[in-house]
Amino acid sequence: MKLVTHTWRTLISRPPFYVMAIFFLFMLLVPVMTNDLYLIGVLVLANVYAIFASSWDILSGYSGKENFGHTLFIGAGAYGAAYLNLYLGVPPMLNLVLCGLIGAVFGILIGIPCLPLVGPYLALATMAAASIAERLTMIFSKYTGGEEGLYGLEPITAGPVGDYYLSLILVIITTVILMAIGYSKQGLILRSIKEDETASEAAGINTTRYKLVAFAISAFFAGMGGAFYAHYQMYTGPSSLSIIMAITIIIICMIGGMGTIVGPVLAAYMLTVSNEFLRSIGDFRLLVYTGLLVVIVLFLPRGVFTVILERLPRFGQNREASKP
Amino acid sequence: MTKDGLEIRAVTKTFEGLTALSDVSFSLEDGKIMGIIGPNGAGKTTLFNVISGFLRADQGQMVYHGKDISSLKPHQVVDLGMARTFQIVRPFKSMTVFENTIVAALSPRSRRSRPKGVKSDETAMNVLERVALDHKKDESVASLPMGDLRRLEIARALATYPQFILLDEPFSGLSLKEMDALAGLIRNLLDEKCTILIIEHKLKILMSLAPRILVLDYGKVLADGTPAEIADNESVIRAYLGRRGHAGVDTTN
Repeated sequence: MKLVTHTWRTLISRPPFYVMAIFFLFMLLVPVMTNDLYLIGVLVLANVYAIFASSWDILSGYSGKENFGHTLFIGAGAYGAAYLNLYLGVPPMLNLVLCGLIGAVFGILIGIPCLPLVGPYLALATMAAASIAERLTMIFSKYTGGEEGLYGLEPITAGPVGDYYLSLILVIITTVILMAIGYSKQGLILRSIKEDETASEAAGINTTRYKLVAFAISAFFAGMGGAFYAHYQMYTGPSSLSIIMAITIIIICMIGGMGTIVGPVLAAYMLTVSNEFLRSIGDFRLLVYTGLLVVIVLFLPRGVFTVILERLPRFGQNREASKP
Repeated sequence: MTKDGLEIRAVTKTFEGLTALSDVSFSLEDGKIMGIIGPNGAGKTTLFNVISGFLRADQGQMVYHGKDISSLKPHQVVDLGMARTFQIVRPFKSMTVFENTIVAALSPRSRRSRPKGVKSDETAMNVLERVALDHKKDESVASLPMGDLRRLEIARALATYPQFILLDEPFSGLSLKEMDALAGLIRNLLDEKCTILIIEHKLKILMSLAPRILVLDYGKVLADGTPAEIADNESVIRAYLGRRGHAGVDTTN
């Protein structure tokens, strides 16, 4: 009998892993197949949202601690990148790592007071934290550029195709790391916290510590994504802290399937691309888009990709009891 | 004061004016088993919650192996070697039996206590074998009957290598055969010098296991003695078994 829960060989036989492998291979070939810069631009945006959504998922999707202020970490990364680049001349690539760390620090600073809160209170507190940060950029407009934001960041690559590849590589790195965490013992403990935090404590788990680590990891990738976004646009402004963006990220995760990493990543592409292409129908866009979301939430509450991935076969070995 | 065992001194807990525990004191030596009985609402589960760190006592002191545990968090209590089960089972519903048990095997206590070289997976498998759930290890807990869920609760507690176990009505919802198996498991634990505090309504089986029983009523210790002493105690019969009841009558339930 095999005692090990997962080995790499058993993992790759699972739908989430081979689906992601095929998907990323396809995405790597996109610039070869097309030179439509508009499409490439849309996909860069999708890449950025994939990072935001999957990083939200490792905390909130796994542990059930719904963070409605993920943009605080994104904004910390974006403004951090702007200051480091504009005032200290830190190169963009280094900024990705540094701003990830800035994000993680914010994650811990917000996590410590927010973790004892449960249910809607955690959601409200995190949302308030992001709103306060957004407001502060207006109040201290002398330093933050206020509504105008901060301009003139160095571009991170030479052009759109470079931006595309860099952002895609960041998505791949993020996805691989977050999936590895999700399938690791850390991920199992986070899931136990979501299911029943009391029982998890009774099993001897210091749940606070695991949640705080999840906050830091989640905020690291959000900060990194924020820094990329700022350099990509060569600008950062209060919109990187907006609640609307925080809600969009949560919607992506809900539609894709919370607590799966893969679901939010794929949903980021699905929603970003469909949102762009629906522009062709003009004013009806929002109606169709929100209608689509409502239908999915009503009929596939566990997420589109959760349901699809569960129906895909698992290769090799005798099938064990399948699980999401 | 002895350095062994658990000592509870004058513990009081109130909920918005309602006294759940009032001046409760007792001590339990290592390797012994004590039963706790009392009518519904007598404060039995509250006592467990206070000992295991899920509730803070308003007054009083609790000492385990010479260490004050009154202000510890639940995982810190487990870390000292005290594990508990819940009266209403609390499985991690979206996980398999094996994954449920692994969570406890990943606790610092379990990592520290098991023999060198043993992995958390093996610890989990071992305890599942002990409670005879190993053949269902890959089943989702959502499909398990009550008897299995009770055993899973115990497996999760055992995976933390406890020296002291608090069992909250472990026999409720079990078939006669399952009850025998669980009684056997509890005797095994006692042979291994595990200390056990057990809340149970099924008096017959409790009295066969525990040579000492504590009776709680309205949060107070009503009696503390052998099953025979308890059964003869006037105030216990009045409070717990009913005015006209006889100790022998209700024991089947």
